[in-house]
Amino acid sequence: MSKSKNKIPTCYTSLECDSCKILKKRKFIDGDVVFSTPEGCSECDGKMLITKIFGVIMD
Amino acid sequence: MEILGYNFDEFLAWVGEDIDTLMMLIWILPVIIFVFYGQRIQLIISSNEIKKDIGKLDEYTTSTKKDFLNYVKNNLTYKSDPSKKLDSFFDYFTIMPVDIDPNGIISKINHLVRSREDIIRLQINGMFSDLSSVELSKLQNLLEIVTTLQLFYKYTRHFYLTAKKQKNFPLILPLQMMIPFIMEEAVALKDAMPAIKTGQPIGDGIGPMIVGQMMLGTTKESAAFETVWSKTTFENRDLFLLKAEGPNATVGRPGDGLEKIISIKKPNLIIMIDASLKLEGEDSASIAKGFGAAIGGIGTERFKIEEIATKNKIPILALVVKQSIHEAITLMTKEIADSAKTVKDELYEMIRENTSSGQSVLVIGVGNTIGVSQ
Repeated sequence: MSKSKNKIPTCYTSLECDSCKILKKRKFIDGDVVFSTPEGCSECDGKMLITKIFGVIMD
Repeated sequence: MEILGYNFDEFLAWVGEDIDTLMMLIWILPVIIFVFYGQRIQLIISSNEIKKDIGKLDEYTTSTKKDFLNYVKNNLTYKSDPSKKLDSFFDYFTIMPVDIDPNGIISKINHLVRSREDIIRLQINGMFSDLSSVELSKLQNLLEIVTTLQLFYKYTRHFYLTAKKQKNFPLILPLQMMIPFIMEEAVALKDAMPAIKTGQPIGDGIGPMIVGQMMLGTTKESAAFETVWSKTTFENRDLFLLKAEGPNATVGRPGDGLEKIISIKKPNLIIMIDASLKLEGEDSASIAKGFGAAIGGIGTERFKIEEIATKNKIPILALVVKQSIHEAITLMTKEIADSAKTVKDELYEMIRENTSSGQSVLVIGVGNTIGVSQ
């Protein structure tokens, strides 16, 4: 087994505004689902669409 | 020098005269030991390694079981204490149909697997109040993890103890060969628990994720149990999109879904997008194209898809994202998530190359769609 497999990854959520296309990345929150729109855009009136949820192993 | 009445000086003098005799004695002793006890020595060495792994399997089974019961108790509203009932689920087994006469075995396996799923689903549903379909599917996945780990532990221990009991070295050899693969899968299963509990997408969900993105803004309809489809267009071609219904932790029933779509319109091409186990040395998240139905599992869904495609003379192309077993069932890595764009480009290229304007294509996103809606 490689060492990285024993480390717990940190989960991130990538969001994109459906209007101004601004990208945002934050830590995963319970209830986040890919292609859902959990929050509004901070820059415009658009909605932030979750485009990806992924894990990153920190060194 | 005299020890216990034996004159060692005489002995050393004799050795000095014939050193070859002593050397022969030194060499012949281990040979005799290995001839008579070689297998037993090997058995001791091998079994010690296997014993350590069995200990780990036991630890994984116990910890995932505890984790599962804690999750149920802390997150769900149960009618009565679910521990005893869930404990009995861990020991459920499935007897596969007789395969002496393999004719018609697929429908038998299909019936068996589906009835098992339906009965467990019904029983779990009856234990809790207000259980959503997402929670229900998560519980089924978690239960599957614990049951599989318990099965690994029990079977490995059985072979180990039988070999030890009978002092049968050849019996431990297959176990010694298989144990690294069993452990790799066991670690992956153990590590899959957190992602399933929190409803995060797993590596296997890359296919549904790509098709789910293509479904955005379209009208989704039910194609089969826990399976949805929708229609869109691409460069004057009709695209039928099919995937498991997210964000449930399910792979859906793509075979039944295909049957439904065929009854509406026969596509000219079927493209299946799935995660595929990478070979040693291959890069994670690398993309490969090929022919045939890209779908894993017990084989019943693949059989159905192949049968329908053959009957209707529809070619099947496959687009797969390579990953390890660990990556496939644990939280989706950034590399795999990032590959979605490239896969989509490859998919459109495949459609352009293999169909002409006015034709239709069915795109199936195969895999567990946990954490991925549409």
